[in-house]
Amino acid sequence: MRLFFVTISLGALLVWIVGCSEPTIDEGVLPFIVPTSTDADGGSWKTVVLKAVTDISVPQPLATTSAAYQQELADVKNGVLAATPEQNTAVNYWAYGAVLRWNQIARQLVAKYNVAPGYDYATGQTTPAESANPYAGPPYAVRVYALLSAAQYDALVVAWRAKFQYNRPSLEQQGVISRAPVLDVPSYPSEDAAVAEVSCQVLAYLFPNEVAFLKAKATEHKQSRIWAGASVPSDVKAGEALAAALATKVIDRAKADRFGAANDPTNTWQTALAKAPYDQKWTSLEIPARSPILPLAGKVKTWYDSTSIAKIVPATPPATTSADFQKALSEVHDIAAARTRDQSRIASYWDNGPNTYSLSGLWNLLTEEFIRENGQNELRAARTYSLLNRAMQDATTASWRMQYTYFVPRPSQIDPTIKTATVIPNTPSYISDRAAVSSTAATLLSYLFPSDATKLAAQATEASLSGLYAGTQYRFDNDEGAKLGTAIGQLAVAAAKVDGAK
Amino acid sequence: MRFLPLAILFLTTLFVSHQARAQWIIGGFMQGHRKASLAIIGSQESYSTYFINKTETKNPNLGTVTTQALTAVGTYGLGYDLDLIVAAPYIRTEASAGYFPKQEGFQDASATLRWEAYDYKLGKKLRLSWLFAVGYSMPIQNYVNDAMVAIGRGSKNWDGRTMLHLKGKSFFITGQYGYIRRGQVTLDHVVNYYDPSQLNPNSGSKVNVPDVTEIIVRGGYVNTWLNLDVWGQQQTPYTKGTDIGPGIPFPTNAVGFTRVGATAYLRLAKQFGLTAGYNTIIDGRNVGKNSQINAGLVIGHWTANN
Repeated sequence: MRLFFVTISLGALLVWIVGCSEPTIDEGVLPFIVPTSTDADGGSWKTVVLKAVTDISVPQPLATTSAAYQQELADVKNGVLAATPEQNTAVNYWAYGAVLRWNQIARQLVAKYNVAPGYDYATGQTTPAESANPYAGPPYAVRVYALLSAAQYDALVVAWRAKFQYNRPSLEQQGVISRAPVLDVPSYPSEDAAVAEVSCQVLAYLFPNEVAFLKAKATEHKQSRIWAGASVPSDVKAGEALAAALATKVIDRAKADRFGAANDPTNTWQTALAKAPYDQKWTSLEIPARSPILPLAGKVKTWYDSTSIAKIVPATPPATTSADFQKALSEVHDIAAARTRDQSRIASYWDNGPNTYSLSGLWNLLTEEFIRENGQNELRAARTYSLLNRAMQDATTASWRMQYTYFVPRPSQIDPTIKTATVIPNTPSYISDRAAVSSTAATLLSYLFPSDATKLAAQATEASLSGLYAGTQYRFDNDEGAKLGTAIGQLAVAAAKVDGAK
Repeated sequence: MRFLPLAILFLTTLFVSHQARAQWIIGGFMQGHRKASLAIIGSQESYSTYFINKTETKNPNLGTVTTQALTAVGTYGLGYDLDLIVAAPYIRTEASAGYFPKQEGFQDASATLRWEAYDYKLGKKLRLSWLFAVGYSMPIQNYVNDAMVAIGRGSKNWDGRTMLHLKGKSFFITGQYGYIRRGQVTLDHVVNYYDPSQLNPNSGSKVNVPDVTEIIVRGGYVNTWLNLDVWGQQQTPYTKGTDIGPGIPFPTNAVGFTRVGATAYLRLAKQFGLTAGYNTIIDGRNVGKNSQINAGLVIGHWTANN
């Protein structure tokens, strides 16, 4: 009897452990943001790509008393009551935040296309990047975020201006009980439709293989606001129209920002390497050796004042024969030889190499938390991302320019006994773009979220040191990178102070 | 006690597999009431090619990965039909090319209860027993779990299995089926790219390690002074996992393999013996194509004397 009982118990245990489904990945269900302000003056904020907010006109809406509008309103009311479970899922997904969701989508796409041309053992060849989808390495990744969030911001400034100009009351004020929280601003034009359309078009330009996916997302997004009871179809249509007009202008800027030649199709970097003012030159440490990542990304047009950025020039790196350099090298060696578990963790956390959404994407993820904690509305969230991502792109551009000026070798090139906690980036060492981007981000975010300044400063310091802990960067790379990043962050703060937002 | 060298070899074999994570495997011979033993096994294994999904490949930036391990296994008979088996390995692993740092440390400790539920006599010479085992393993220290060169995957695991064990006068054959449930692990970084079909922007640092099932068949010759056996093991991913690739966390990979091996045990004194073995992976999935040699000492009671 005992045997029988134990057998049954063991059998049941086995069935239980085999049968339990387990989550493949953890995603907590987050509460919706409750915006802390409506920013009624948002229509007067300074735009980024548009010279003036009036460059795009939003037509006058139908009067709320008109029969056509009343019909729309009645349809939406009935639709809210009849929403299907699938529609509710879409409503909840997009109610998380239009800007935040499209930022997440951009990060996903960056991760998907951030595939470095790799060595293929089967063919013995280094696989070339697909021409339709340029390799989304760090300079490409940050450009995606900058273009996207600048476009979202401009679209929302235009939308805000029209909202308060025409003042079509929100649906809530007209007795519609919506399925998700809706910001209490005039409903015409729909801010969600503006963000959806402009994001879809800008991302479709940057990731041409993803057009179908992006269009489906945008259609669902726009429709979800009608299902939610937040907008009527004419609100959505107006938002869509202003965004389409804006997207053209943003894409025109992207076409002219000199990024097209960043991957250096004629290999001019080899001439630059020969001329580099440094005593020992960088070589690729990969087997087989490969061309560096986007060698001309340092020539890309900046977002903030290019003259001021050009004035921020880091010190000349110490020559490899100098005592300063030898000291820096032996520091990398000593850390690599006795790397602690915590140093490994820090190196891995800030690494964000191939097939990730890149370091700039990590800062976008970290910023998502701040936006939520501070209850920023769509317009303010877009401003935060627009300021941040443009500054991070400029920091990347400036770092790239330095890297391909000096061509300083990575520590392992000079001392092959230095083993690294992360893959060695296939770029020259000086200056550390990781330190620059993180210091820029922390400087700007500390201005926008002053109560988190201490935490941000600690994160920037850790990010700057991470390359040293990984064994891929000298301390002087980090120090100069952090200085440059802080200076660019301050430029962004200065711009933020005069853009009209309080 | 006859099971011990067999069990030990499985232990070392799998503890140090590059992609396969720590686990224990047990055999069909019971230890005996209040009888104890301790085994110390050294092993070395290496691979220079590995499988991305099922395609064999080589990475010039990795070279040959060599892993050495020292594993201690203790077994104690809590009753005539109930054994406790504990194990802990110390591992060092290193790549010959590229810049991957050497990893070294204690890997996962495991404890297993094995129960001989039924025991039948078939005729005069044959005995058939049916056994069950439940085990748990967890990392001893917080080692790096997401790297090409790592000593383990860092998950906490439950292992349930059942065995049929047939023994004659001087031969045996054991067949077993096991299910290993592997827990979630926390990576050092945020997961960006997990699986194209479930891109998830809100993922944190926690990922799931796929569960596996396995079938093991082993058979051989036994007498008072000598054991010789051969075995085959097939491990198959049970839950969905990823394939090795840039940006893919190593712990989420779906690992499977077919491994064959042979083991020898030689008894030198009543409470003392030597063991040695060889095994190799003939087919795999997201795993290094490892070959391993091992040798060790066994101190304590030896069941072949029962």
